[in-house]
Amino acid sequence: MNPKATSWVRTQESGPKKAIPVLPDAASRIIKKAKRPALVIGSKINDVDGVLDRVIELKKTGIEIVATGHSIKFLLDKGTDAFHAGVVEVTNMLTDSDWQGIDGRGLPDLVMVMGVHLDLTNQTFSTLKNFTDIESMCLDRYFMVNATYSFPNLTEDIWLEYLDELIKKCE
Amino acid sequence: MTTDNRIHIKRLKSPFLNMSDVEVEFGKVEEEWEEPMGPTPKPSMTDLREWDMKLLERYKPFYTPVCDMCCLCSFGKCDLTHGKKGACGIDIRTQQARMIALETCIGTAAHGGHARHMLEHQIERKGRDFPIDMGLNIAVEAPITRTVVGIKPGTLGDLEEAVEYAEEQLQHVLSSLHTGNESSYIDYESKALHAGMIDNLVKEIGDIAQIVGYDFPRGDPEAPLVDIGFGTIDKSKPVILTIGHNVAPGAEIVSYTEEHNKAEDIEICGICCTALDLTRRTARGKVIGPLSMETRFIRSGTADVIVLDEQCVRTDLLEEAAKVKAPLIATNDKACHGLKDRSKDPVNDIVTDLVSGKEKAVLVLDPEKVGEVAVRVAEMVAPKREKFKAIPDKEELIAEAKRCVDCEECQRACPVNLHISVALTEAAKGKLGKLSEMRDLCVGCVRCESACPKDIPILSLLEKAAEKKLKEEKSKIRVGRGPIRDTEIRNVGPPIVFGEIPGILALAGCSNYPNGAKEVAEIAEEFIKRNYIVTSSGCAAMSMAQYKDENGESLFEKYPGDFDSGGLTNVGSCLSNAHILGAAIKIPAIFARRDLRGNFEEIADYVLNRVGAVALVWGAYSQKALSIGTGLNRWGIPVILGPSGSKYRRLYLGRKDKEEDWEIFNARNGDRVTVDPTPEHLMYVAESKEEAIVMISKLVMRPNDTTKGRQIKLAHYIDIHKRYFGKKPDNLHLYIRTEGDIPMTQKDEIKKMLKKKKWKEKIIPDPTLVERLVWKKEEKK
Repeated sequence: MNPKATSWVRTQESGPKKAIPVLPDAASRIIKKAKRPALVIGSKINDVDGVLDRVIELKKTGIEIVATGHSIKFLLDKGTDAFHAGVVEVTNMLTDSDWQGIDGRGLPDLVMVMGVHLDLTNQTFSTLKNFTDIESMCLDRYFMVNATYSFPNLTEDIWLEYLDELIKKCE
Repeated sequence: MTTDNRIHIKRLKSPFLNMSDVEVEFGKVEEEWEEPMGPTPKPSMTDLREWDMKLLERYKPFYTPVCDMCCLCSFGKCDLTHGKKGACGIDIRTQQARMIALETCIGTAAHGGHARHMLEHQIERKGRDFPIDMGLNIAVEAPITRTVVGIKPGTLGDLEEAVEYAEEQLQHVLSSLHTGNESSYIDYESKALHAGMIDNLVKEIGDIAQIVGYDFPRGDPEAPLVDIGFGTIDKSKPVILTIGHNVAPGAEIVSYTEEHNKAEDIEICGICCTALDLTRRTARGKVIGPLSMETRFIRSGTADVIVLDEQCVRTDLLEEAAKVKAPLIATNDKACHGLKDRSKDPVNDIVTDLVSGKEKAVLVLDPEKVGEVAVRVAEMVAPKREKFKAIPDKEELIAEAKRCVDCEECQRACPVNLHISVALTEAAKGKLGKLSEMRDLCVGCVRCESACPKDIPILSLLEKAAEKKLKEEKSKIRVGRGPIRDTEIRNVGPPIVFGEIPGILALAGCSNYPNGAKEVAEIAEEFIKRNYIVTSSGCAAMSMAQYKDENGESLFEKYPGDFDSGGLTNVGSCLSNAHILGAAIKIPAIFARRDLRGNFEEIADYVLNRVGAVALVWGAYSQKALSIGTGLNRWGIPVILGPSGSKYRRLYLGRKDKEEDWEIFNARNGDRVTVDPTPEHLMYVAESKEEAIVMISKLVMRPNDTTKGRQIKLAHYIDIHKRYFGKKPDNLHLYIRTEGDIPMTQKDEIKKMLKKKKWKEKIIPDPTLVERLVWKKEEKK
């Protein structure tokens, strides 16, 4: 097994269904295929310089942004607003097939996560995996087994490169 | 008056007696108590099910499975992922609820076993008839016991009835978890709520027993300030360290030193809740800190004797104690550690064996004997040990750091994902700054060391790097005051219920913090400064005490210990946090004159709709933290957990966008009306300190707030939201019921926003979820 595609938190493997590791090219194809992709960002989005700017670039490609925790403040400081809710609140609403979604036009069919506390990231993917038909993808630098797809474990530099490549391919 | 058994003698004829139609009653003599018995004294597992359904209808369980399988029987493992069913037919939702109920039972049993021990110990010391006297200012001595069990305990012996009830209920909940019982996750949630309520009950019993038995402070807002921190220990004296939650052995150590004129000669300190209770016994006791300090303090070599009791005691402490050549005494039947039971041996023999090193550790289940053994061993061992420690010197630290191969296994094992190898790489170059900073964020779990393929003693390196800081770690914590006085409730009851005191924030629980313990102090101070009532217990109280401001003062030195706006109370240990709930229950009893006796549903309904209390368990890790929180939820008190709380796998979340979920009865006329979505959630996980602060300011709102009260709460919510989220909330239309709710200074701006949202005024009802209470109110008139 590719050591970069094993659960970053060694003990997070929760069952037989595990994420498929993806590189930027495959990730961009998954995003393009989705009709209503959404990206959930969390309070740790500013922990690595340059990541927030890349989130804003991803937004420009048509991906809806959901800001959780206090990440909304970081976005507003950059002059960008977004749908804002707690990560557990938005995940809860995603389990409701009647919810009209982030933009009022229905549920997203692909939910991506970046910059959320690691425990919550994995638990979010677990809920989506078990209680929804929504596909999920981890764009963090950690391989998250509960997602449908995930970037492998990456160094910060490589992660930023992956994000740049992804943005380029989504444009 | 008598209860229990009654016999009717139709006719009795003997040489001495001739009688007919006589009824003889026998049983326990109860004190007269005029309060009428409510509908649910000693509720069974299903008596409050209807109340639970009302809560769960609004606050639906939200599951985040930690494990997609069930491995509780030998059919399994069964894969339950995404709709699959197990061999017994169970689905993943029901399995999550079942696990939650199980974990809640574990937490409740820990408190229950502790309470049972404490009660028996105090009955042994003081007798069954020893009175429960909580002092002049506390007439409602046991609000939880009164409400749940329906008794007004007057003596220690009276508490036995409540403990027996609790034990019976716990057995029933546990039995429901066997394979092939409930098929509904909602019913398992109801059972978890039941077990949680029992947790609250047994904590109250345990703490009352120790308050009256050991003469702890009885609701004293001016309980003394005592020392906390590594740097407060006088190493020139023999040092005895107690760890755990059951203070019985620690209290006997204190008694022995007092009785033998050694009180000034021995340093007695503690880690975790047993430390807090030690300081309630003697202000000379010292608190090292929360449970995250266990391994690091032992490795510092300061303790000459280590005394373990129960709960949250690391299971590798025998090994750690041996490393620093400190004799260890295990004292509790729940944690025997494989040791030989020396309880019946003569003290001299035990002392000789420990001092000579023949035994590195012993089990002594008699607290009084522990008192003597610990003191005598400490006196004899201290000169020999010379504070032998397991912390490396700087050269050794650098040499160890150089062995790091940067595999990142330590980080992958770290609950807070600390970049340990980066700090080690720096340390290898002699730069210790990063390691030292990391010590403040470390939760002390030591998983990094287990994961390290090179066996680098990472925690010890952190301690060495932070050595200078540790010496300066000296602060003050207020001794646990125990209950809130009835007189205090009389003062704050009306402004709390009307919303003019913006809320009560209770900080409780463990030290598994996502970003260091300092955040707990920062959250507390945010609300103290805003004139909320802030109260604390357990590890949270210890963590916030450890942080000092620029003047060198801790929060407990800066703010009064009153249960009043702008005050900061420390009620004491985990057991004592029952008094925080007790205060919420006393509000309907004292201010609103509602009957408590066997009247759970009415009281919980009152608390949910009128008492703006919120609990924060920022460093949640234990099953007890879950049972405490789940219990609070049944009483209508929302709980916010830190990110680690998501691994409990269940929250109770409301949906503010679903108007139909917020329908209640207007007790004035029985109409069903929709109210504002308050409190919005019952159990919530916040991602960051900032989010927790905003959520606290929101969850203190209640449908019963007066317009003046809602104005005050909204003013704080808006201000806090803007400060931490960078903008004003866009959902104010949900929380403004009438124009009178709008904070005065922002009227124009908010009215414009309301117009855009097509806001309509709502009535402010007399809110209740319980239909029968509509008529009860009419009858009272």
